Amino acid sequence: LGTPQNLKCITHNLHKMICTWDVSSRGRHGQTDFCYTTNDLTPQVCFKTKERRVEIPVPESSSTVTIKSSGTAFATKEFIIHQKDISFFPVTPHILSLTPDFSTSTLNLKWSDNGSVFPYGLDALWQIQILRKETMEEVTKVTYYSKLTHEDLILSWSWSSDMPLECTSHYVKLRCYINATQFVGPKDWSDWSPAEVIPGKDTEPGGSGVFPLDTVVAVGSDMTFCCVHEEDQHITNMTYGSKPYKMIQLSSRSHAIRVLNASASDTSGTNVVCHLKNGMDGTVVFVGYAPDIPQNLSCETSNFLIIKCTWKPGRPSGLYGERRTKYSLFDRMSGKNVSCEVNEMNRDRACGFPVLPDQKTYDFILGVSNAIGQAQSSLLVDITQRVHPKTPEKLTVTGNNSTSIQIRWFINGSFAGIRLLCQIEVSGGHSERKLHNVSMPGGKSSTYTAQVNALRPYTKYQFRVRCSAADHFWKWSDWSRGMEQATAEA
Amino acid sequence: MAAADSHSSALRRRDLCSRAIRLAGKMRADVVDLLDTYVERQGLDASASVAAVEGVPLAAVERWDEQTSTQRLLENLAAYRAFRALLAQMLEEQREQLGEADAGLGRALAAVLLQVSAFTYHLEELLRLESRGIPGEEEEEEEEDGPPPPPRLSIFEQKLRGLGVLRELAQWAVRSARDLRQLAKPSAASGTAPGLAESP
Repeated sequence: LGTPQNLKCITHNLHKMICTWDVSSRGRHGQTDFCYTTNDLTPQVCFKTKERRVEIPVPESSSTVTIKSSGTAFATKEFIIHQKDISFFPVTPHILSLTPDFSTSTLNLKWSDNGSVFPYGLDALWQIQILRKETMEEVTKVTYYSKLTHEDLILSWSWSSDMPLECTSHYVKLRCYINATQFVGPKDWSDWSPAEVIPGKDTEPGGSGVFPLDTVVAVGSDMTFCCVHEEDQHITNMTYGSKPYKMIQLSSRSHAIRVLNASASDTSGTNVVCHLKNGMDGTVVFVGYAPDIPQNLSCETSNFLIIKCTWKPGRPSGLYGERRTKYSLFDRMSGKNVSCEVNEMNRDRACGFPVLPDQKTYDFILGVSNAIGQAQSSLLVDITQRVHPKTPEKLTVTGNNSTSIQIRWFINGSFAGIRLLCQIEVSGGHSERKLHNVSMPGGKSSTYTAQVNALRPYTKYQFRVRCSAADHFWKWSDWSRGMEQATAEA
Repeated sequence: MAAADSHSSALRRRDLCSRAIRLAGKMRADVVDLLDTYVERQGLDASASVAAVEGVPLAAVERWDEQTSTQRLLENLAAYRAFRALLAQMLEEQREQLGEADAGLGRALAAVLLQVSAFTYHLEELLRLESRGIPGEEEEEEEEDGPPPPPRLSIFEQKLRGLGVLRELAQWAVRSARDLRQLAKPSAASGTAPGLAESP
């Protein structure tokens, strides 16, 4: 009569267990005397309870429990609880936050591992379930591993949806399993946490649109586009480019299409259009390439004021305007960074970097990036060994006497730090074209002078000049314009 | 002396009207060409129906034949000022979105914008001949307490709005030519609504 029975004990934290029991039929519910001892012969502990539920320590191996219920008659029952009979499953985990990043369709999950209640070093497994649509279909179930540290740690995990988060509501649930190897009783997963939800636009009153909005993706990407429409609207079809696609219903107000292995879009992007009963909505996706590693990076200066770097861009990215590939030139030596204005339509790419005072050597990194990716090339260069002077100008030739002339020219740029080597080409005078090399110290936007001797008297000659760096030849300048001058009579 | 003045003013008016009519015809042809290029380059469907776009003046008008010359001119002026702003915005967006990639479309847009500006100038001149004050653009804005800055449209919405602008501009060019023919008539010089000589 009213005898305690079916004693069951579970633990959520390996050191306290919750025991429950019931009493055989027709036992009136009254006060209960509950006593327990654990096998390490600690003195018996007794207390009274009105509940048929008590929380007592988990025994190392076993505990002896005596339950005396004071119903219609005193019925006492003794139980031996072995650790192996105690079920262990952690407390239902609690999601601290679920934050959406709509621009990347990413869910960011944070939760506490409740590690403070467990011994140090236990392995914990977390199952994260993502569900979607009105029907809460499972999208994925992921297992995440962590190690408990006897402290409450905040764990975080992110998941990128294959579909814009706006398309339909996304739900996340979490449960936990602790691999308590020392504990001999049956172990199981915790219950699932309540679902946290990121509502889709299709749950917003008046929410509508085609998503993702104006994105950039790599050629070959698989994408999901969705059309969210108002309650009273009816969707007829969805097209990608000009091609209709089979629609997937996400909810009563949201339909999607799946585009696989997207090819490069035109300059104005690929339109994704949602045709509705009265009207249409749409978005544009720009499908392009990540930038190639710049090839043949080369830098030189024509005036010791600006360093001009050029390179071959490789495959065009197919992205233009505000999405075009951006270039920057960074010098590791000085830490200076310059962003380059580059015309995507020109085959040749160039960028100017200021010559810095008292710096000859530059450790350049040419950075190239767009929304799809980035690349870089580097170049260590001593600009005194990369001088490519501008074309000599203002050439003047004056006759000295019957066999020599004086030639003057101007070069824009400040070459004060180097010597120049210039070549004077003399043609005419019924003889072969001759080249005269002259070397002189460089100047700062200077005029240079040289004399050419051994000419024939009373003879018409054509002269032109070009220059380069004398000590470390890199490139000749272009030839100056030609000047004609006749020598005086003998 | 007054008769001479009114005669020269009528001549000036007819000259302005005929030049404006020619410009409207050229503008119409260029806008239609631009429309084809625009639809193709923006990947749009030529048959797409575009809802009325906010800020785009509608060419359709009720009781066209009852309008006075001044009403015609004022409505035309307001419309082409609006188109001038809309085309300038389209050009800005086109540079932003495509940069150098579609310079051809940019040039065609700029050319039409130039024509719209020229046409606006003609309308202002005609209004001066009517010895009517020309509503300053700021007045117009103040009357409607200044257009609120347009909401940032998505790229697809920009494309559709561009389509709507060009389609409506093409219609306006037709209506303007008819308005100007109406203005060129001597009866129109008195500023009253002309007889029902010609209905659109």
